[in-house]
Amino acid sequence: MQDLTGERTPMKKNSTVNIVFLAPCVLTFIMIIIIPFFFGLYYSVTDWNGVSDDVAFVGLKNFRGLASSPDFIYSFLITIAYTLINIVFINIVSFILSLIVTSKIRRRNFYRSGFFVPYLIGGIVLGYIWQFILNNILVKIGTTYSIAFLETSFLSMPNTVIWTMAVVNTWQYAGYIMLIFVAAIQSIPSSLMEAANVDGANYFHRVIHILIPMMANAFTISIFLTLTTSFKQFDMNMTLTNGGPATRFMDAPVKASQLLAMNIFNTATANRMAEAQAKAVVLFIALLIVSLIQVSVNKKKEVEM
Amino acid sequence: MKKKLLNMVAISLMLVLAAGTVFGAGTKEAEKETTVNMFQLKVEIKDAIDEYAATYSAATPGVTVKVETLGGGADYGGALKAKAQAGQMPDIFVIEGRGGYDIWKDYIADLSDQSWVADTDLAFKVDGKVYGFPVAIEGYGLAYNADILAKAGIDPAKLTTRAAYEQAFKTLEAKKAELGIDAPVAMAASVAGGMWWVAAQHNLACYWGGGLDFNDTSIIDMALQGKLDDERFLQYAKYLQLLFKYADQKILLNGSYDDQVGAFAQGKTAFLHQGNWVDPNLKQLGVTFPIGYAPHAFLDTEQTGLYLFAPSWYCVNEKSPNAEAAKAFLTAMATTAEGHDYMVNKAGMIPAFKSVKLQPAGQLSQALMAANAKGGNYGVFFGMLPDGAGQNVFGPIFDLFAQNQNNLNQFIADMKKAVANLPNM
Repeated sequence: MQDLTGERTPMKKNSTVNIVFLAPCVLTFIMIIIIPFFFGLYYSVTDWNGVSDDVAFVGLKNFRGLASSPDFIYSFLITIAYTLINIVFINIVSFILSLIVTSKIRRRNFYRSGFFVPYLIGGIVLGYIWQFILNNILVKIGTTYSIAFLETSFLSMPNTVIWTMAVVNTWQYAGYIMLIFVAAIQSIPSSLMEAANVDGANYFHRVIHILIPMMANAFTISIFLTLTTSFKQFDMNMTLTNGGPATRFMDAPVKASQLLAMNIFNTATANRMAEAQAKAVVLFIALLIVSLIQVSVNKKKEVEM
Repeated sequence: MKKKLLNMVAISLMLVLAAGTVFGAGTKEAEKETTVNMFQLKVEIKDAIDEYAATYSAATPGVTVKVETLGGGADYGGALKAKAQAGQMPDIFVIEGRGGYDIWKDYIADLSDQSWVADTDLAFKVDGKVYGFPVAIEGYGLAYNADILAKAGIDPAKLTTRAAYEQAFKTLEAKKAELGIDAPVAMAASVAGGMWWVAAQHNLACYWGGGLDFNDTSIIDMALQGKLDDERFLQYAKYLQLLFKYADQKILLNGSYDDQVGAFAQGKTAFLHQGNWVDPNLKQLGVTFPIGYAPHAFLDTEQTGLYLFAPSWYCVNEKSPNAEAAKAFLTAMATTAEGHDYMVNKAGMIPAFKSVKLQPAGQLSQALMAANAKGGNYGVFFGMLPDGAGQNVFGPIFDLFAQNQNNLNQFIADMKKAVANLPNM
């Protein structure tokens, strides 16, 4: 009993308890994230094929090869393009959705859960569902009613396929970001909005001058989330387009919608493990730089209460 | 009373002793028991091979064969690597060609001394030594719906040159409405539908091996050194263009396996570019019309053979203590009546062993088996290409050609460039 009420012992006890509770997580984190990460860095400068025990050090050869490989450069560029499209689409759509579901319309709770539901569908399943909609249903409608732009599937147009992917991703992800926005909007004191209302500011002005500045921290989070998830997009990419169709880039046929993560996967499954690892390191560095810049820029715009 | 007690003690002691010996013997035998672990990737034969392994285990004292099957389309190579890294390398595993051999060669046992080797033409060999047990024969030509061809007045036996095909496709195209078909051919080439392999692997194999001797690898050897045979490739490219032009465009550019096979099964196309593995799908789709195989005749000269190959081989893990038991299991599969029954009747495969006399049920498999007996077929050599060449390099080239079917020269230039880069892969 004394142990529990004494002033020093609980501290001690707490630290052991902390260690005991943290240890499984920390250990697992080290085992499955930290150690493989450094192994990955190491393998990216070797010629490892995934099995062989004799691993030779090859320096930066894997990285030099990337600079002249059209499919990798193309994947890198469309991943950036896809990410930008996604950030704009998802944030605008989910901001509008959050305004709708925080307004006084009827059944707003129903809408809140309704918009969130797509996020609960896994990316693999979602990809197949949308593939069926885009390749079969829309095309069928197009051919039946002779609507020209629906007659060919949106997924078979090399120039616009990543826009289609972004739309599908927005459909899935907007509900989740919407929740973040809703939470931010609800934490704004209603007195601010009421005061503005009394001062004669209309709804549009209130949104621009009060709502958006007040929820800037939510934008930091939402842009960070959309940026990183779009950059790492894989599951939906795999099932919706599988990287297709083909297009021409730097005078070589490449896969028009093969994002970076899928490019890495396809390289790895072709038993080019070290090369795939080098690509993964490039993805990691790019993601790190971009998200650090994004967060620091956004942080400056946040308003302290 | 005392005697009775003593007796009882003595009897119970004896019982304990007896039980001891019995259980002791039991544990000793369990130590001798070998478990052969097999890891395979043909999900369609899972039930058949599980059953055969159980029968074999029951009939072979001291050996239990356990089969693990990786689900369809999953990354077998990756899963096998994970097993190897975890120290759980199976005793029997599958390779799909030279690429797999190069990766796993430290593990692969030499099977040259096995009794089934003399009974097959399709064992996996490197430098004259046998390393792989052929799982089955698979093969393909251009499958046709005999009813539709008969209605259109086309004799499939005459489809032995590119010119004959062009004529037949034109006839079918002209009679589309009358025959109730959407297009003459169900062909797929899209990266999006995951069908790159039909065009960039199987159709391209016509260029590698078509019209040559069964074991003639001269064309692919040349390609592996970075060169195309221009004259031959031009003829091939024209044939491919023909297939593309007369194909159902939606299936060609976007269709999945189900779309392609389904269109043929519903009588919406007269031809199907697929191998005998579609037999179970056709059965499932309730196909009743007669089907046969016409050769992929892309040359100006006559070609009559089909393309036959072993898509994968079983390899024995040399480092395993159970290697001998694993070899015995494979030998039994190839040489016993139960093994033959499993391969043909249960798994529905065409065995690569000449001594097998059973007939498979599927129409396309029967056509292949007849062709195999007749001879004059062509080898399929895409397994000799570097890993990823088909999916990542040729796949987009064929997809792009399917989108721009009139741009023959661009296709040839792209392929030339890609082949020139093969030695660096």
